[in-house]
Amino acid sequence: MNMESMDLYAGLMHELKNNLGLLAMTIDGIPVTGQPEHDHRVDEARLLCQRVIDRLQQALLIYKARHQSITPLVDAYSPRDLAEELRDTANSLARGRLHVDVQFADGVPEIWFFDRNLVEMAMINAIHNALGYAKNLIRIGVSLQEGMLDISVWDDSGGYPQHVLQAFADRQPYRATGTGLGLQFAKLVAEAHEDRGKVGELRLSNQDGGALFSLRLP
Amino acid sequence: MSLVSAKNNEIVINYGELRALVVDDYPGMRSALKLTLSNFGVTRIDLASNATEVLFKVQNTRYDLILSDFNLGEGQDGQQLLEELRHRHLISLGTVFIMVTAEAGYEKVVATAELAPDDYLIKPFSAELMCSRLENILLRKLTFAKVYGHFENHELEAAIKGCDEILKTRPKYVVDALRFKGEVLNAMGRFEEAEALYRQIIEMRAIPWARLGLARALHNLKREEEAEEILRDILDQSCEMVSAYDLLAEVRLSRKDGPGAQEALQKGVEISAKTVRRQQRLGEVAFDNGDLDTAKQAYNNALEKGRNSVFVTAEDYGHLCRVQVEQGDTNGALETLKRGKHLLQATPEGQFVGAVARSIVHARTGNESEAEKALDEAAQLRQAGARPDDRFMLDFADACMAAGRAEQADAIVRDVARNAHDSESLLAKAKRLYEKSGRGDVGEQLLKDATSTVRNLNNEAVILAHKGNFAAAMEKLREACWEAPHNPRILMNTVWVMLKHMEQSGMDEALMEQARGFLLDAEKQAPGHGRLATLRAQIKDVEARYGIRRR
Repeated sequence: MNMESMDLYAGLMHELKNNLGLLAMTIDGIPVTGQPEHDHRVDEARLLCQRVIDRLQQALLIYKARHQSITPLVDAYSPRDLAEELRDTANSLARGRLHVDVQFADGVPEIWFFDRNLVEMAMINAIHNALGYAKNLIRIGVSLQEGMLDISVWDDSGGYPQHVLQAFADRQPYRATGTGLGLQFAKLVAEAHEDRGKVGELRLSNQDGGALFSLRLP
Repeated sequence: MSLVSAKNNEIVINYGELRALVVDDYPGMRSALKLTLSNFGVTRIDLASNATEVLFKVQNTRYDLILSDFNLGEGQDGQQLLEELRHRHLISLGTVFIMVTAEAGYEKVVATAELAPDDYLIKPFSAELMCSRLENILLRKLTFAKVYGHFENHELEAAIKGCDEILKTRPKYVVDALRFKGEVLNAMGRFEEAEALYRQIIEMRAIPWARLGLARALHNLKREEEAEEILRDILDQSCEMVSAYDLLAEVRLSRKDGPGAQEALQKGVEISAKTVRRQQRLGEVAFDNGDLDTAKQAYNNALEKGRNSVFVTAEDYGHLCRVQVEQGDTNGALETLKRGKHLLQATPEGQFVGAVARSIVHARTGNESEAEKALDEAAQLRQAGARPDDRFMLDFADACMAAGRAEQADAIVRDVARNAHDSESLLAKAKRLYEKSGRGDVGEQLLKDATSTVRNLNNEAVILAHKGNFAAAMEKLREACWEAPHNPRILMNTVWVMLKHMEQSGMDEALMEQARGFLLDAEKQAPGHGRLATLRAQIKDVEARYGIRRR
């Protein structure tokens, strides 16, 4: 495929993403009626819409990253504010279906340096995945690990299937859709963060009977 | 009920009290944003579809929040709107300005702009995200409320103290406090301290805006080589940072690298063509470089993009007209003057610019009597006190020389030189005019004479002031002011000495009035000059010392 038609597709994706954004806002505006059958369906539509938007956004960024690397726009942000933002987003996506809590470790500095938009996009994607698999609980964690800021999402799903962990460990090419795309994106985001020789990383593991997704930022 | 209240030791934001303005050119988006805001309790919401509407609305209503899209269709974009609102002090530092951008990429232009919004959101975003962002900004504004108050009241020392207090007690806001303090230090002309501060931030992390701040401090300290090196490095890593190109152009001009300055401005224009001042600067620099095509396009763009903007002046039409004459396109030049009629007739300065431009066009087409008439008109306007910018005064002198009015030309150049005795670029330009007309020797002598009186008086005053004899220094400077009533450097020195004199010998109401008047004159000549803020703050200090409170 030549560059021109690729740009056409990128433009099209962009437009679709923005139209979906408007749709999401419109769905947001539908009042809750208290009738489960109605409310539940609106909820589903909303969730799906948000998920498609996030996917499109990531696909666009990954497409861009193929031509020029992702350059994070680093500034000082509060990790606590970030965690609370993620919790609010997760709660709104879960709409009471699941419990979301935040675990904020001692000793995390008041400010850290990162690209908030990229990190948030990666984390929200992880939250989407967790929402799909968790039974009752999602936990957002912030801590300091080996001198890096560790932001994580844990769920009580029972853990990642072995083949996902294996593929991740082997650095195998990911499938271009679904979970694979999200992980690829998160990895790009983590590794784009760099400070004085330290490079960020994405870690996946199974812990305490659940899947742990953690993004480490120098 | 106020916007923020405390409940059980917790700060609560009363969104119902918040007054918001939503700006977007697309009606669907406007109502969607309005809906999102109302989701968390904001009910007092006004809507606007473009920058002009906003500029009108903010004059009647004080908004706590402006939520604006970056892309506003024709006319100014959201970033330009923000710059105009802040430059013209139409919104206070306490007003929250959030920029909404449609795609990752534009947000970099916004986030790295010199005058950054309080935050930006990438579309699409959820109501929850907007709510928590807004809450965090409001809490930050609350923390900085006192500092902002001092700053807007010209109490700069107090503003710095306020920042230091936050630095000590509120670790969450350390970087914000440093950033604001750096801006205050730069405004006060305390560039060495600014340099140290930005290095302190960079030590934590090389954030682009901190590196830009460092480069600016170095440029102000005339350490151009170091400044250029940093700017190049910034642009290697984040090529969207337009303000780095602007500063790079200024640094290169100081290094007498005209082509390099033009190249930097052209790159900036490529990224963001809508900023009027960048186009004006490009026109100026390209004209001096002899690149008429680029100059013409830049001035044209400035006029095109700047419709409805305060940054476009009558001079822009004059400059474009000049370029066109130089290219031999006299019809186009006349067309330009017609296009600019509204501005060229509005003020004496505009009329002056129009008259000079007309005389240049007529001289070129050989219509001598019309050219003479226009020159006479310009001379009369100047007699009556019209003062356009110095570059245009030199154009006037040039036209006089071409018409054989050497004496008149000399008087104008003398006037310009006296009032800008320390501006290398203007004096060099004046010198070139004389060389062009074959009177190089006359010019050199004239410039020397015109600047030496003012320079000598100023130097004598400086020595006297160093000895603590402020009264005598004041007399010398008053004489210099009489010689050169529009010289910003002299005016500011005079104000400074007057204040020192009062610190030494007590309050003198009449003298204070004079100092205030001189400072206003200086501001007219050199708006935004670094020393103005410091002097304004010193006036406040002296008044406070003698128990005068003034708003």
